[in-house]
Amino acid sequence: MNILVFLKRVASSQEEELKILGEGEAVDLSRLPFKLNDWDNYALEEAIRAVEKEGGHVIAISLGAKESDDVLRRAIAMGAGEGILILGEEALFDPRLRAIVASRFIKKEGFNFDAIFTGVQAEDDQFGTFGGYLAGILELPYVSMVVAIEEWGKGYVLVRRELEGGLMEKVKVSLPSVLSIQTGINEPRYVSVMGIRRASQIERKIYESSLYMEGVISSIEVLKWSYPPKKEGAKILPYDIDGACRELLQILKERGVCQ
Amino acid sequence: MSYGLIMADVRRGLFDERNLDLVGFCNVLNIDPWLILPKGAYNVREAYFKRIIQVEMGEEEFINPLNAVITVKKVIEKFGDPFALIFSASSSGMEIAPYVAGYLKSPIITDVSGYQKESGTLLKSLYSDKVFASLKIKGEGFFVITVRSGSFRHEAREIEENTIYEKLEGLTRDERRRFLGYIEEEKQEVDITKADFLLSIGRGVGTKDEIPLYEELASLLGATISGSRPVIDKKWLPKSRQVGTSGKTVKPKVYLAMGISGAFQHVSGMKDSECIIAVNKDPEAPIFQYAHYGIIADMHKIRDRLIQILREK
Amino acid sequence: MMKKGIDEDWTKRVFACIQCGKCTGSCPESAKTPLNIRMVVRRKQFGSVSASQHVWYCTSCGACTIRCPRDVKPSEVLIHIRSDLVESGRISTSIQRALENSLIQKNPWGKARSKRSEWALKADFQIKNIGDLREKRLLFTCCVEAYDPRCNVIPRNVSKILTYAGIEFGILMEEEICCGNEIRRLGEKGLFEELRDENISNFKKYGIEEIIALSPHCYNAIKNEYGEEAPGVVHYTEILWRLLKEGIIRVGREYKKKVVYHDPCFLGKQNGIFEEPRNILMAIAGTELLEFTRSRENSLCCEGGGGRMFYDVDLEYERNAKSRVSEAQELGAEVIGVACPFCLVTLEEEAKEKGIEVKDISEIITEVLL
Repeated sequence: MNILVFLKRVASSQEEELKILGEGEAVDLSRLPFKLNDWDNYALEEAIRAVEKEGGHVIAISLGAKESDDVLRRAIAMGAGEGILILGEEALFDPRLRAIVASRFIKKEGFNFDAIFTGVQAEDDQFGTFGGYLAGILELPYVSMVVAIEEWGKGYVLVRRELEGGLMEKVKVSLPSVLSIQTGINEPRYVSVMGIRRASQIERKIYESSLYMEGVISSIEVLKWSYPPKKEGAKILPYDIDGACRELLQILKERGVCQ
Repeated sequence: MSYGLIMADVRRGLFDERNLDLVGFCNVLNIDPWLILPKGAYNVREAYFKRIIQVEMGEEEFINPLNAVITVKKVIEKFGDPFALIFSASSSGMEIAPYVAGYLKSPIITDVSGYQKESGTLLKSLYSDKVFASLKIKGEGFFVITVRSGSFRHEAREIEENTIYEKLEGLTRDERRRFLGYIEEEKQEVDITKADFLLSIGRGVGTKDEIPLYEELASLLGATISGSRPVIDKKWLPKSRQVGTSGKTVKPKVYLAMGISGAFQHVSGMKDSECIIAVNKDPEAPIFQYAHYGIIADMHKIRDRLIQILREK
Repeated sequence: MMKKGIDEDWTKRVFACIQCGKCTGSCPESAKTPLNIRMVVRRKQFGSVSASQHVWYCTSCGACTIRCPRDVKPSEVLIHIRSDLVESGRISTSIQRALENSLIQKNPWGKARSKRSEWALKADFQIKNIGDLREKRLLFTCCVEAYDPRCNVIPRNVSKILTYAGIEFGILMEEEICCGNEIRRLGEKGLFEELRDENISNFKKYGIEEIIALSPHCYNAIKNEYGEEAPGVVHYTEILWRLLKEGIIRVGREYKKKVVYHDPCFLGKQNGIFEEPRNILMAIAGTELLEFTRSRENSLCCEGGGGRMFYDVDLEYERNAKSRVSEAQELGAEVIGVACPFCLVTLEEEAKEKGIEVKDISEIITEVLL
């Protein structure tokens, strides 16, 4: 079983207030630390578990600037057999362009694989399109929001995908296929700093993304960045704890849910 | 007039209200809303649509992305290119839209929540709603989008002329992906979608040790306890108590959100509650934009004081 | 380059162990949790590789190592076992999160690094950037104190007192990162080294000559585990006591309360600072200083250290903080005085319900300063 896993290095923005530069020209990420996209971490763990069980090889691939090597080293430390960087100026913003580059890379370099794993979405752009778009170009079967892999069979895999309202769908897909993996599918193992240091000794291959971009340009353009529209704000109850609590109980009473 | 091809958001025989956002989107762009539907009796308000194309496929086949490609190709072959292929940003749309787009190599933008007429740009959220991008689609041909639930439904209008009905037959099936069945979450004692009063706790709760005291508060208040994804992921509350995109959508009389920052995935599951009260120590937390009442304070302090007051009663 | 101590492989010392059991006898966890430190050493003697998850109950208080008559350093043996678990990746998600946060945001809570010096902006006087100073005296803030609004007052109070005393000092602002004391004790040696190296390179970059540590944990790491390249470090209670003794600052108002002082493990038993905090309290008019039955070298650990802040203990048992607060109550104390943010947080958690205050010494002294 050979699995390709696509990984993205993203800004760690959860605890930050993001600043927009100038008149909406760009988002300032200069003070933010970077990390592996959370969803991709689950995808990577799931791929490694699959080959630990079924045998085979995980190849971690990242599209982006040279710093994306960080996530490849981490992947190797976690258990991937190989790390590959498709080097570009930056991670391509247009989901179409990104998937086209990845698909051409896979075809041109002649990878032999049973499955491609991606995270459901990236924390930064939240397009949630990479796996699906790639599967579409490659004309491979696709399942998204996978929350469990139940069985690797001969030429197929049985998975569960997450729907709304706690409902799940059981799906059988033939291999090779593309699966996008949802968070919570597993508990990713810890990767230590010393593990990453050891992994650094394994060479990561670098391919130039320009090799796969001939005749294709970005199909979307950001004209402006803006802050979310401020909705009519909430009525703020008093700042002292006791006053706020008493007013809160009064509201609950008025609404008829609490005496 | 060019048309917007809407792939119906259907699940288990229900035509989701989210479809109205797709109609509203077409109306805003001034294109004709066309709907493609699977076989079956769906509760569709037909007057919204210029054309309704019923596909000779069962629902599960229809929402299989591999078959969706076959359907869309057939529609385009028969009627020519649409202006846009439109899906809802739901578990179905999020799966089908990029797949179809990839197959047709079309531009795609997901989770669109606004349109600016003057610049012809689509508004999309990034970084969990911390910033928005105004995006312009370049080049020829149609594009694919998914539309955020709740963002365009107020624009949905009925058309004046009669709806045209079509049937689409003779479609092949892609057998490489097969639906085997639905799995319900384990039977649960409490249904949070039926509760009038939810006390919902989020990431701000901090540790598992704090949970019992929130359960006590819920019981003193007569509320049902629920949570946002981080709390469920840590298994501090069962999955059946999760509010949000990947959990339950709730509309209680009162939704008391404590320590919930208000990430979109959560908000989309509770924003239609009659009264939202948010307790959060961060005055900038997005939840306050959705709340009717807000308390800017440490959730544990509010909890402790409420418990104290209620015990004294 | 390293000071003697932390790079040495203590596991070789396990063969000196005579299994006397003094370590287990002094361990604040052995009576109530499955952790048996003597057995940990025993298994290591046999080279057993089956690392037990019980090692996560250790609070790194250091009592076992201090009591050991054969200098086996059981607490270091335990860190080695934790290391094996960390390297294998088999650790609980809460610990994992603390470690990953320390790698990405440089603090175990995962708070934004860019907000590290926000506590200083909230002060009503100016706190200078170390880069803008002639005298290279650094105030080193602990992660808890930098981010926890409850503990923010400690750096603000100490800054205020130092400013008032005319002592020039500065902070590293956003360049300051976690000292790594708990990270090393969690067994993440590589991460500890990264944090240490980054801190040391900042100390060098600004030519820092003296460090005032606010937390005993940071104090311990810089003093004992950063090696020869680190500048000299003092705990803030040492400076405060000197300022009081020399009359540079004066206590004006009375503080008419019964205060029992709780010795933080990393200040007291591990680093021998027992007198300064007590002297400060005794210098305050009206304050009656009480002593716990278990105090000084025998002080009962609050269970905030050694990474226990990040480990979800799944067994039901009484927290030490609870028995500590009960004893304070029996003594008739109105205030538990501490000199460590971890002790403050863990003890206050239990004290809230009993109507006893927990205060950092810097808080008490700020109230009575002239």
